[in-house]
Amino acid sequence: MIGELMDPRKTFGKAVTEIAKENKDVVVFSADSGKSSGFGDFIDQFPERYFECGIMEQGAVGMAAGMATAGKIPVFCAIAPFVTCRPYEMVRNDMGYMKQNVKLVGRNCGITYSDLGVTHQSLDDFGLMRLIPGMTILAPQDPVEIEEACKAMIEYEGPVYMRIGNPKIPVLFERKPFVIGKGDIIQDGEDVTIITTGSCTKDVIEANEILKEAGIKAKIIGLPTVLPLDEDLIRDAAAETKKVVTVEEHYINGGMGSMVTELLSDMDGVTVKRLGIPNIYATTSSNYQELLAYYDLDAKGIAKSVKAYLGK
Amino acid sequence: MNKEMLQKTANQIRKDIVTAVYSAKSGHPGGSLSAADVMTYLYFEEMNVDPKNPDKADRDRFVLSKGHNAPALYSCLAEKGYFPVEDLKTLRHTGSYLQGHPDMKHIPGVDMTSGSLGQGISAAVGMALSAKLFNEDYRVFTLLGDGEIQEGQVWEAAMFAGAKKLDNLIVIVDNNGLQIDGKIDDVCSPYPIIDKFAAFNFKVIAVEDGNDFDQLDKAFNEARLTDGQPVAIVMKTVKGKGVSFMEDQAGWHGKAPNDDEYKQAMEELEKAGEA
Repeated sequence: MIGELMDPRKTFGKAVTEIAKENKDVVVFSADSGKSSGFGDFIDQFPERYFECGIMEQGAVGMAAGMATAGKIPVFCAIAPFVTCRPYEMVRNDMGYMKQNVKLVGRNCGITYSDLGVTHQSLDDFGLMRLIPGMTILAPQDPVEIEEACKAMIEYEGPVYMRIGNPKIPVLFERKPFVIGKGDIIQDGEDVTIITTGSCTKDVIEANEILKEAGIKAKIIGLPTVLPLDEDLIRDAAAETKKVVTVEEHYINGGMGSMVTELLSDMDGVTVKRLGIPNIYATTSSNYQELLAYYDLDAKGIAKSVKAYLGK
Repeated sequence: MNKEMLQKTANQIRKDIVTAVYSAKSGHPGGSLSAADVMTYLYFEEMNVDPKNPDKADRDRFVLSKGHNAPALYSCLAEKGYFPVEDLKTLRHTGSYLQGHPDMKHIPGVDMTSGSLGQGISAAVGMALSAKLFNEDYRVFTLLGDGEIQEGQVWEAAMFAGAKKLDNLIVIVDNNGLQIDGKIDDVCSPYPIIDKFAAFNFKVIAVEDGNDFDQLDKAFNEARLTDGQPVAIVMKTVKGKGVSFMEDQAGWHGKAPNDDEYKQAMEELEKAGEA
């Protein structure tokens, strides 16, 4: 099931470049990080549609929104906290309130910048973005899904925040059109529902192997769209298994797990265990895998938490 | 330029501003009145706009970066014919489309939502950039408060506009010298404003009296001829201009007149209109 490893940033940049060949309205904004956001090819092929702002994320969001009023489709990608926390009010007003067709992409999300520390990690972006009415949040789970998500994001008219990681990620799924707002049942099972998103899905799939050995049959739901949440899929699964686990590279407060918990709060007998980073300034490590393990977000840690939750 | 027509229109717009704020029982008359003349000049002399076709693609854009001047913008738009003048009396009323700050999604003729200071100029730069990229010849005007330029985001946008030589962008600074907490140079001086924009590679045009149409006309004609760099028109104005007891008073930044004050203001404006 786990396939070829690919760089999410390059995959993203190439996907936007491909789309831009057909769609002349696509323009790219950069805040001194175009190449590291994967836009090397775009810069070579469409220099006139590439706007280097320098280090000014707040201004860049505003300018992108201004350009969107004239019918263009600006894509602005930088390190996740610098496009979410820093220009939050600009995203709220210029993209959200004004419903402008700007595509914001936070890269090196979660703790993938494990070595650079708290300022560069993004554990609150789902939480911040979900509070903006009308916002769509995408968190594709593998390289193929990143490509398809880019197509869907550009076709969709309205503000979008997409979050991608940094280390190479494996191909997990067959290619299929990305439908915003739809999740997938990756595996059916009746003991527990595990809901995963973004880069965590690989580890959940690996954790499942450990759970299988322990005799646990998990229903696994992948959410490449975090907002709007695929409510029917989640409620149906919760009604079946009663026990639900959420897994995300985000604070356990305010993110996808909180959204799922709020959604299921009126269902009798349903409980939710949220896995993620506790509400602290996460520690630093030059080794991303070690940091995931430190917070029990690697396959072993996830399996351990699920087993404990089920009392096994 | 038909100076008499502009003066008459600006006087009517001042009455509209005072009436709208009085009707709302709250709002921002001070800055609206200081900018009433330049906004009249823009809508009735300078800009290529059509109230019958508010979204036409080649129109000039206006971004009210100092969004609290909404009463002035709404009054200009109403007098220009975008929506009924009578609606100005619904300013800030529950359910009215005339919200406290400009909302492009609900008000005909508003090119950009604004209200949080410093944000409008970035959007204006994006619009100007779009025109350049797609070889469209519209121009983008944006009005900033002198207090507003304390916001760092203003200078991000200014740096970009200067660096990219956006000569279809005209930034106007309403230098009435006052902000909520008092004189701008006491609060946190943004002076020298002219030198700052010049340092950001703008062509700067200083206007000694931004409430004088001859001087505004000269400035905007010079702006039109400017090539290869964005323009900043830094104009000295009087906050509360046209209503004696509001003039040069920081206290009238965001306050509505009571019944007596409204009566007096309207009498003064009537009289000025007859002169």
